[in-house]
Amino acid sequence: MDKPLTQAELDRLIALEKRIGEIAKEEGLNTVPIDFKIVSANQVIEGMAYRFPVNFSHWSFGRDYDRTRTIYEHEYAGIPYEQVWNFDRPEAFLVETNPFILQVLVVAHVYGHVDFFLSNRYSQIGRMFSDVALQARNAVGRFRSYEQVYGIDVERMMDAALSLEWNQHPEILLDDLDEESQRESLIKSLRFKLRKADGKLSPKEVEEIEKQIQVVSVKTPPEPTYDLLGYIAHHSPKPLKPWAQDVLMVIRDQARALLPNMRTKILNEGWATYWHVRIMRRLFQEGLITAKEHGSFNDFNARVTRESKASLNPYRLGLSLFEDVEDRWNKGRFGPEYENCKDPRKRLNWDTKVNLGRQKIFEVRSCFTDRMAIEALFSDDFIHQENLYIYEEKRFDKEVIYIIVEDDPEIIRQLLKHSHVFYGTPVISVEDGNYDDNGYLYLKHHNTGYELDAAYRDRTLEMIYYLWGRRIYLETTLNDRALLISYDANRNKVIDYAYKK
Amino acid sequence: MPIRIVESVEERGQKDARRHREKQREAIKKHLPEIISEQSIITGNRGKKIKIVIRSLDIPHFRRKTKDDQDAIGIGQGKGAPGDVIGSRKIPGQGKGPQAGKEAGSEYIETEVDLEELIDLMFEDAGLPKLDPKSVREIMVRLGFKISGRSKAGPWPLIAPGPTAKEGYKRFWNFLAALEKETKLDQLICFSALKQANGLIKDALDLLKDPNFKPQFDKVVPFPIIYHEDLRFLKIKDKERPESRAVVIAMMDVSGSMDEEKKYFARLMLFWLVEFLRRIYLRVEIRFIVHHAEASLVDEHTFFHTQESGGTVSSTAYQLARELVEQEYPTSSWNAYLFHFSDGEDFNPQDAVAEIIKCFQRGINMFGYGQINPEGQELFSSKNTLMQAFARAFPVENVERGGLRMIVGRGNVPFLGVQITKKKHLLPALEQFLIKERWSNG
Repeated sequence: MDKPLTQAELDRLIALEKRIGEIAKEEGLNTVPIDFKIVSANQVIEGMAYRFPVNFSHWSFGRDYDRTRTIYEHEYAGIPYEQVWNFDRPEAFLVETNPFILQVLVVAHVYGHVDFFLSNRYSQIGRMFSDVALQARNAVGRFRSYEQVYGIDVERMMDAALSLEWNQHPEILLDDLDEESQRESLIKSLRFKLRKADGKLSPKEVEEIEKQIQVVSVKTPPEPTYDLLGYIAHHSPKPLKPWAQDVLMVIRDQARALLPNMRTKILNEGWATYWHVRIMRRLFQEGLITAKEHGSFNDFNARVTRESKASLNPYRLGLSLFEDVEDRWNKGRFGPEYENCKDPRKRLNWDTKVNLGRQKIFEVRSCFTDRMAIEALFSDDFIHQENLYIYEEKRFDKEVIYIIVEDDPEIIRQLLKHSHVFYGTPVISVEDGNYDDNGYLYLKHHNTGYELDAAYRDRTLEMIYYLWGRRIYLETTLNDRALLISYDANRNKVIDYAYKK
Repeated sequence: MPIRIVESVEERGQKDARRHREKQREAIKKHLPEIISEQSIITGNRGKKIKIVIRSLDIPHFRRKTKDDQDAIGIGQGKGAPGDVIGSRKIPGQGKGPQAGKEAGSEYIETEVDLEELIDLMFEDAGLPKLDPKSVREIMVRLGFKISGRSKAGPWPLIAPGPTAKEGYKRFWNFLAALEKETKLDQLICFSALKQANGLIKDALDLLKDPNFKPQFDKVVPFPIIYHEDLRFLKIKDKERPESRAVVIAMMDVSGSMDEEKKYFARLMLFWLVEFLRRIYLRVEIRFIVHHAEASLVDEHTFFHTQESGGTVSSTAYQLARELVEQEYPTSSWNAYLFHFSDGEDFNPQDAVAEIIKCFQRGINMFGYGQINPEGQELFSSKNTLMQAFARAFPVENVERGGLRMIVGRGNVPFLGVQITKKKHLLPALEQFLIKERWSNG
């Protein structure tokens, strides 16, 4: 089981990969040539920890590597680790020591992912950053040379950049204009507003707009930006040296490329799982894999799609969702008539035989994010059927007990939705990069239903201060009270006082 | 080809994982005083593992506040209804066991560390040299320990490699001759057997009994065979002593405000001192005396954990130490090192002086007085009545080493007074305490 593939096995795998590609096409999946690389378990674990096949050095990647490796070595040896990247030419890793049938499973699974990458609206955005892998590869040498010159400062710069990496614009592509073009287009639209009004505005309104134009022509940023790293890299009054800007921008760009995947985790894994199950079944029907191999596949598949008591397993949940949606749309269990039907017997036997299932799941894979799927497709029945619940970690003297506290579908749906808004990262914008005319940085936290964890907030502000070098303000709320926090390194602590707008 | 085998590239993970562990060690280092405070490192079992709770190193980021920052919630999947327990976990570090200082905004993981590793960290942290044989010998040379003569027993750092090897070769040739004589076989086959038996003559004989045994070597290459009695050790030139042994008598003023940090300094100094002496003497004992207005003999844990209020009369401790030397550690056969830690105030400094003079008369090796003041007072501030009294009573000179100010006994007066305010003072203080010329040339 731990032996690398023999030549005969490799030849067979190559043949099966070819057939899997054909089946994928026959089933209507989009494909492009995929680079499958057979590598050591270690390399896959590295790939997972470093996010890209090759990436720069950082202790946090080392920590994740260590963690995964420990689990791999001590607990789940032989688990079907799979790693696939949404590159122009997608790249996937196969673990050399995995059993043969697991290699076939992973190939089939990867074909599912690749279709998702090519077809899902949000993953397509990720593909626009497909040169990010090359950038990551190139950053390795550059960062190393910075480290030779600037030593530990480079690590500190990376620490600070990584602490803000996920604070990006909710619509990634919207925020990539440079500041001056942004300013110009803003001024243009304000002037257009004036011209178009054609004397219909009151003098006061005109004055208001003219004042706005004046503000916009000098203010930085001209309008609030969510791209924290991008803004800080180019506007820090410290100022940041070119190497530091480079570090910040590489980390920012990597996060932008990875974010779309985070928004479609359940759907993407669910889709790939849905397809590997079907492709493996066809391989078996076609006699390309033996009954014994198919049985062994079923065992692995059961492990992959196991329920997880204290977290959500996206393979499981995503697979069930696609199967549920397919079934519902096949039987016409959607629309007001079905929704409003309260008769349980009627509902149970509801089948209009419209057979729209296939069409519907392809639509979901093309147009939905996880959040949209939760909102539109996590029906009460589905939540019941999947045995979802909310649990609470009750702290006692010496242990934490996990207790189920809620199984109301509506509450579960709300909680799920909340955790999928803006990738689960609090929304922070740069409001002013020259606050008080002193070069202070004024940030604003937009409350999306959750307040900030105070301790983490303060440690993050410390990081921002390291990048900015002058006082940082953060407008936020604490226990529903408006608050303006200032971080000033002279006192080296966070001072907060009631904030009056 | 769509599927290919890729050769392993650079293994970055290992390297960055090391950096992460290094950072964890830094985090542990910061909290060493608290971690170590529960351990009896000087007299306790050194092989043990200690559970400590350390901060999991994460990158700070803006994140949501969990409900009341207390009972976290999550979504799970499986059979069960509200009220059902689906699992549990132990809270690391709750109850007994040291906690490495809770910092806000951090997650904690419980980890096991070898006491040995913590000790290494402590030494590293305080800039004290590790006590491997090489550095022990370097320190001994630097501090003027005279090494001469050989003996058949001694501590490992003092093993004499050359003479020991010479004995080993002697044994090799003896064994070879014995084998030849016993088996009447030729030298080469006897050598082969001896080599294969790793020098064990009985095993070699067994091998040679086998008629099929063939020599695997074409010539005899001698190697040293070292039995216990072949070991040769260097001897420290010392007052003629039947046995090489030392006692450290540690004294601590428990009346004052010796806080965790001050005690950490005292603990580190004593620990390193004892460890060093253990490397050069065959037998080292340590006794602990605490005092306020009265003195008593205690164990290590009590020594570092007693706090009493009341007056401070150091002479009571000195007297007890002297009596110990007289009754249990006569200086005719023991090297006696006395060290007293205090924060400086004493009600009756003249009695203290008188008692120390009595200790000198008993022939102790050294008396150290360590005034521990992390706040960094003046050496002779009005509070520090003991230091003032010592400076007046004994012939001393002022010495400065690495920012550490000391008063050091002149001639053959085995006295050292130091004020320790920083970790980096520990090494110069210890070195000054151990300088051999001063107290053996007299």
